[in-house]
Amino acid sequence: MNDQHEPADHILTTRGLNHYFGERQVLTDIQLEIQRGTRHAIIGPNGAGKTTLFNTITGKYKPKSGRIFFKGKDVTGFKPDKLARMGLGRSFQINSTFAGLSTFQNLRMAILARRKIRFNFFRFLDKIKSVTTETDAFLRRIGLAAERNLPAGLLSYGKHRCLELSLAMAVDPELVLLDEPAAGMSREETHKMVELIRELTQGKSVIIIEHDMDVVFSLADRITVLHHGEILATGSPSEIKSNQEVKDAYLGEAEVGNAA
Amino acid sequence: MKRQFGKWCAWAMILGGLYMAPRVLGVFELNVLLGTAIFALFSLSLNLLLSFTGLLSFGHAMFFAAGAYGTVLVLTRLSGFPLLPLIGIGAAAAIGLALLLSPLLVRVSGHAFAMLTMAFSQIMYATVMKLSHITGGNDGISGFAIPSVSIPVVGVVDMALEQNFYYFAISILGLSAWVMWFFTRTPFGSIMVGIRDNPERVTYLGFSVPLSKAIILCVSAGFAGVAGSIYALFQNMVSVDGVLGPLSSFSPLINCFIGGLGTFIGPIFGTGIGTILLELMSAHPEQAQLVFSLVLIAIVLFLPGGVIMLYWKANTRWMAVRQNIQNRFFKRRIYE
Amino acid sequence: MNAIAVMLITQAVHGLAYGMLLFLVASGFTLIFGMMGILNIAHASFFMLAAYVAFQIMAWSGNFWLALLLAPLAIAFLGILMERVMLRRIRRFKLGKALVLFELMLTVGIMVCIEEAVKNIWGTDPQIINAPDALRGLIPCFGMTYPAYRLFIIGLACSILILLSIVLFKTRLGNIVRAAVQDAEMTVALGINVPLVFTFVFGLGTWLAGVAGVAAGPLLTVFPGLANQMLLDSFIVVALGGFGSLMGAFIISMFLGELTAFGVQFFPGYSTIILFGFMAFVLTFRPLGLFGERE
Ligand SMILES: Nc1ncnc2c1ncn2[C@@H]1O[C@H](COP(=O)(O)OP(=O)(O)OP(=O)(O)O)[C@@H](O)[C@H]1O
Ligand SMILES: [Mg+2]
Repeated sequence: MNDQHEPADHILTTRGLNHYFGERQVLTDIQLEIQRGTRHAIIGPNGAGKTTLFNTITGKYKPKSGRIFFKGKDVTGFKPDKLARMGLGRSFQINSTFAGLSTFQNLRMAILARRKIRFNFFRFLDKIKSVTTETDAFLRRIGLAAERNLPAGLLSYGKHRCLELSLAMAVDPELVLLDEPAAGMSREETHKMVELIRELTQGKSVIIIEHDMDVVFSLADRITVLHHGEILATGSPSEIKSNQEVKDAYLGEAEVGNAA
Repeated sequence: MKRQFGKWCAWAMILGGLYMAPRVLGVFELNVLLGTAIFALFSLSLNLLLSFTGLLSFGHAMFFAAGAYGTVLVLTRLSGFPLLPLIGIGAAAAIGLALLLSPLLVRVSGHAFAMLTMAFSQIMYATVMKLSHITGGNDGISGFAIPSVSIPVVGVVDMALEQNFYYFAISILGLSAWVMWFFTRTPFGSIMVGIRDNPERVTYLGFSVPLSKAIILCVSAGFAGVAGSIYALFQNMVSVDGVLGPLSSFSPLINCFIGGLGTFIGPIFGTGIGTILLELMSAHPEQAQLVFSLVLIAIVLFLPGGVIMLYWKANTRWMAVRQNIQNRFFKRRIYE
Repeated sequence: MNAIAVMLITQAVHGLAYGMLLFLVASGFTLIFGMMGILNIAHASFFMLAAYVAFQIMAWSGNFWLALLLAPLAIAFLGILMERVMLRRIRRFKLGKALVLFELMLTVGIMVCIEEAVKNIWGTDPQIINAPDALRGLIPCFGMTYPAYRLFIIGLACSILILLSIVLFKTRLGNIVRAAVQDAEMTVALGINVPLVFTFVFGLGTWLAGVAGVAAGPLLTVFPGLANQMLLDSFIVVALGGFGSLMGAFIISMFLGELTAFGVQFFPGYSTIILFGFMAFVLTFRPLGLFGERE
């Protein structure tokens, strides 16, 4: 199985993924092909299995059957940390930062991961200047420099969300899975978030789950529609907009009209 | 600049005090001091798990005991074994035990970790009792001579002399504490704190949580082993109830909580306060533990930050007062 | 009947009696843990304290039945006090993840406190509680004789077990308690006064421990170390039986009771090692226990 190579322009491919919670099947025969350097959106109603799909791809759950190929390599059954070291990052639907640590310390953890400083017991962390400067530079880039020493748990929701995204991006992954980065944000914040995503994911491959159609259509190169754990359709934004099945199942005429 | 200077002064005073101790203190007080230092190191090693990784161990005494038994068994069986490697043997025994248990221990946290460590220390207790032909069982092993150390320039140093052993022990304890402090300040130290706060995120950043936990466990166990090893030499005996008894695992935990959770030096304060309490209660030793437990309950209920919180609070208040004074006296100059 | 069979059956009855006591203690332990997520290290200390309180009541009144009635109530009162005054207070601190550590440490403090208080009040020497005259001696049955007091313990525990099942499985209160054990947040959402239910469960659990303590008095010697043995055994029961599972607690208690009774004869000393080793593996690979069902 391992020598089954995938085309080089696909950064991620899944073949017939199935996942169950107990008796209930939440993912059915998922086939995904993500082109290198594109932004691919996954949409679908609540409970469609989008987050579960992310958890399966990143190795948190082991699929009941099916294969996952990352960068042409069969990575089915790999643990999340190993995949992360291979260049697969993710952000969470519910903020999952280090709430007790300062924004700076949060990001520094990601920078350490980026620079592959893992089992270093022989140097003062504070004395490794390059880590500090890099972290501070990243903080300025995402506009959280003023909150540098604030515990992450005390950040405003919008800023916390921004930190959540940055923790994933600061590791410099090749492919990143973003789980509803703009969830629960106001119009204005959403707009800023979209700009930040655009900025941070330049030149990277992205899979993004999003409910907000404006965000989806402004960011995505391709869209996959998930419904009851099955893929309903995959295609370019315009194809999805005009797909009758998708309209019936999920989008509703009005929403598509607005977004167009 | 000023703060740096203050810090150096404090360090100089502590080191000077420890150096002068044998000259100003009697044998009894010196022993109390050394005993406190040993348990402070033991508590510090536990604190590495507790405050920095968020793991509550109900069986840390097993590493302490491994260090004590390791050292004593080698000392009594292999004559002419030098002193410093003996301590190393203690540490190695504890680390070996940690390595043995880590495949199971790293998989759990929270209540399960507490119960698992407790189970292992019970197993160890039963094993030590069972192997009484080796370990001496309830009576333990005692009455061994501490080997002397020959240092090139100074000559042979006789460790049977209280103050010589004191200098030897206190330097090892101090060095160990410093190494542990350093450990928390390294990049790995920050990952350790990350595991406490959010292990899942640490995993998704690409760090292996089980492997990291195993390393922390080994480091923590190793220093507990050093403490146990020195304890056995200091007491000149090791017995199952002395190092694995019902309270052996709880008392360093209590020290950590009294001192202050979440800080590095909290356990040192906690152990010190424990010693002072014990000395104050020396007229009624049977009530000492009772008072100790009441103090623990009171701390958890009314001062969850531990005694060190009092210091921080006093410190911030003092800073505010100083700021106030400065403002008052130097305001004019600012406006000029 | 031959001597070996008699010995075996007698031993089995001994094991059953201890298993029943263990179940009384462990059921409260597991209910409290399942419901409130509090591993009450002091639970077995309440058991031990109850034996001493009973001893004191006996010393004053000489009436075992009075002790059996009053001592568990006194213990339950202490338990409720602990829940209302202490545990509830630290829950309000908003400690986040550290709450578990503080709760555990609080119960450790209370455990040490009870043990030391007992040592100070009653001393460390073992005390003896005499069973009432009616329960002394041997009862002939099925061609054998059994110690009456052990049969009494088994009967008492069985009636409590039946009562407990009726309360838990047949009443509205029981439904609420079981729902809260399954999912406390959901129960809050349903608009039920969960704190009150917590207090009830805590009181019930410590009362059970109290009954066990008084009942254990004439059977085991009353000494401060009683709590240690019981704590370790109920740890095993809860870990193997599954956190919050009464059925699991019952099965493991019986098993452990018999193992203690027979282990003494057949493999002394090793039973602890085997048991705790087994517990360690179950905790690691089946954290919900052998009978736990919760996701
Ligand atoms: N750990 C779990 N155990 C059991 N069932 C689960 C678990 N996680 C999710 N589910 C169920 O699987 C289904 C898919 O959940 P999932 O979180 O993947 O949906 P989603 O598409 O991300 O929805 P949303 O838009 O609300 O985030 C849901 O019905 C959910 O109830
Ligand atoms: Mg989701």
